[in-house]
Amino acid sequence: MIRFLLARLLSAVPVLFVVSVVTFGLMWLVPGDISAELGGTDATAADLEAIRQRLGLDRPLWERALAWYGALLQGDLGYSYLLNRPVAEAVFERLPVTLSLAGLSLLLATVMGVLLGILAAVRHNTWVDRGATVVALIGLSTPDFWFGIVLIILFGVWLGWLPTGGFVPLSEDPVGWARSMVLPAFTLALTQMGVIARMTRSSMLDVLGQDYVRTARAKGMRRGTVIFRHALRNAMIPIVTVVGVITGVLLSGAVVIEQVYSLPGVGRLIIGAIQRRDFPVVQGGLLVTACVFVFVNIVVDLLYGWFDPRVRDAR
Amino acid sequence: MKPHRTIARAVRGLGVAGALALTAALAPGLVDAQTRGGHVIFAQGSNPPSLDGMVTSSQASRNITMNMYETLFGFSEAIVPIPILAEGYTVSDDGMTYVIPLRKGVMFHNGKEMTARDVKASLERYRRVGATANLLSPVREIEITGEYEVTFHMVAPAPTFIESFASPRAPAVIIPEDDADADPGKTSLVGTGPFKFVDYVPDSHVTLERFDGYSQDGRHDGPDGFGGRKTAWIDRVTFRVITEAGARVAALEAGEVHILEAIPMPAARRLASSPDITLFENMPWAFSVFILNAAAPPTDNLKVREAIQVGMNMEEVMAISSEGLYQLNHRWQYPGTTYDPGEIGAEYYNLGDIDRAKALLREAGYNGEEFVLLTDSNIPQHNKAAVVIAEQLKAMGINARINMVDWPTALNLRLQDSGWNGWTLQMGIEPYLGPVAVTATLASPARPHFVVPDPTLDALYQALISGPTVEARQATFRKIQQRLYEIFGIVKLGDSGIMAAARSNVKGYTAFRFPRMHDIWLEG
Repeated sequence: MIRFLLARLLSAVPVLFVVSVVTFGLMWLVPGDISAELGGTDATAADLEAIRQRLGLDRPLWERALAWYGALLQGDLGYSYLLNRPVAEAVFERLPVTLSLAGLSLLLATVMGVLLGILAAVRHNTWVDRGATVVALIGLSTPDFWFGIVLIILFGVWLGWLPTGGFVPLSEDPVGWARSMVLPAFTLALTQMGVIARMTRSSMLDVLGQDYVRTARAKGMRRGTVIFRHALRNAMIPIVTVVGVITGVLLSGAVVIEQVYSLPGVGRLIIGAIQRRDFPVVQGGLLVTACVFVFVNIVVDLLYGWFDPRVRDAR
Repeated sequence: MKPHRTIARAVRGLGVAGALALTAALAPGLVDAQTRGGHVIFAQGSNPPSLDGMVTSSQASRNITMNMYETLFGFSEAIVPIPILAEGYTVSDDGMTYVIPLRKGVMFHNGKEMTARDVKASLERYRRVGATANLLSPVREIEITGEYEVTFHMVAPAPTFIESFASPRAPAVIIPEDDADADPGKTSLVGTGPFKFVDYVPDSHVTLERFDGYSQDGRHDGPDGFGGRKTAWIDRVTFRVITEAGARVAALEAGEVHILEAIPMPAARRLASSPDITLFENMPWAFSVFILNAAAPPTDNLKVREAIQVGMNMEEVMAISSEGLYQLNHRWQYPGTTYDPGEIGAEYYNLGDIDRAKALLREAGYNGEEFVLLTDSNIPQHNKAAVVIAEQLKAMGINARINMVDWPTALNLRLQDSGWNGWTLQMGIEPYLGPVAVTATLASPARPHFVVPDPTLDALYQALISGPTVEARQATFRKIQQRLYEIFGIVKLGDSGIMAAARSNVKGYTAFRFPRMHDIWLEG
């Protein structure tokens, strides 16, 4: 197991290196830099050049790349031009917001999606199946920013049950944190719930038609035990795979949801940094996000073994 | 040395203007007693780039910092410079020396008293890191001539110096001497304003709380523009950053936010009759302009630029880009202000004369060359104006193409001499500051917005900044207005406004260039 873990961690290094090269290259190809933001509309070309010199943006690309990778090897993600603080500090301060949002959404999407998928599979070709499919399709095809605004108006303005936006740290007020996360997490979960529900339905349909399930039923085993202990566990491999992929989607989808609900997460940090050309924040933020994604995929690989002993034994 | 007459006139003028402003500001107070306490939440659309008051000219920062810091001079409600931390000033007969006595007993948030040493240190820092450090370029040296007095020794007489120095664009705020060597953004965020800094969580909020040691300016009866007698009633104010306009409106309707910096006009119309919401029209707020590149074909041809001027229907552009909150105005100043140039240029404005435009294009030899209309996706007024303008240009027979990029890219591209022909822009603070600030963007030594310097305009700008009297400067500005309608390097589209909104239990709030958190209170 340890060898497997080490191998997976080592294989993440080239992935993260490629991510860093692509983000570094892309940001320096984009026209404009932070001097425009700092100089304002009436800055002259000379003013902007002076700002570039002060920030070291006039140095050749290879020199900047060397400096960045040199610092990175020492665990330094750089320094934000605009926030005036280390990038690592800014990113790690916001990571709990994004992880809370993505984690809760993943939980909601998985629980709702799996239950909906099971229901559709068990009641195959009935109105329940068709209803569950319609619900899943609605989730898949609803734009999350629109759905977010609708939920804000419904639960925040009309009913007044939940806040319209903002973030309360868990450490400050757990109830406030939960209230601030319900709508964003549900909004983000809705689309992905549809994906999981459809995957669960099809995977469960395969499993439910197999001999061992029929045997279990013939032995008089309770229906719930057959579905949840025997059928679902065997249907989980493709579901877990989808959940792994969805984690990445949720992390990127959090960007939009953070905007709609005014959550100070990593997504919003990166978007703001892109708009203002605060390159170190973009590079550092994307690298940390990629690390989270890689980590989640390692966890998914480990889960394969837990759900399917054949995979575990093969290692 | 004699007391300067301008300031005396200004203070006298304030008697009327200030009283009017005060009456408006305190009108609710006549029926509602001010209540001390409470927590007001203000929502704005973007993060403050910095809370170091002097290093940024961003409105998002100004909204907050102008409640934390103060300047020696600032603009009154009637846009006349008034002393704030200064007692006043006297200027020598040759215009080379300004003696500025300071108010005594003004306390910083750190509990120390402001002295001349703090003022000199702040202004020397402003020279190094101030976003508009050129405000102090007419000053050769700042000398401490008393514990509560500084003297400015000038490079040359600068009759408009105090007007420029009072600019709130990137204000020359006074901070403690201890912060004088701090790099941009690295100060202790201590000022002399009625509110002091508590915390800042980027992308979330900034919190300020009432500074109980605040030294009120006893020379006034109430607030006046950026100065006056300020009274902080509320305990705490949070500036929340809510980027999504729909979410901002929802937060106001739900009562989670008390004041919105700007509410979209469709939402404003919907909420106009709501008893829970009060709207505050801030008109005029900005010039909407369309800048032409006089260096790149086809707009390097004067006749092509004139064709665009006479062929455009400004009302159509303004109505759509401002969502209906606008006024038509051909002037390069706001109507009724000191430097209002009157009807000069009106004969070229909002004509929508397509036939005349086509004739001028024929005369110019225009042959279907591409016209690249540069705009950005970040500021809706810019891109909405661009869409309407592009259609109008096509109707004139101009081969217009919109190049919509993000804001930093647009700022970068417009600095190129080629690759663009027209650029849509909102000029927010310059018109408020007056004719010098507006003309400075169009004349040398800066790179004019329309790229190619015009020697006549440059000479007029020099005459404007050295004009010894208001009357002389008014005469010069009329010539500048005339010249702008001769070279057609920039098209004035109109004046746009912004609509602020507040919960009805917020009392004393008035529309201004920044949200004044002093002299407001919560009812109930």
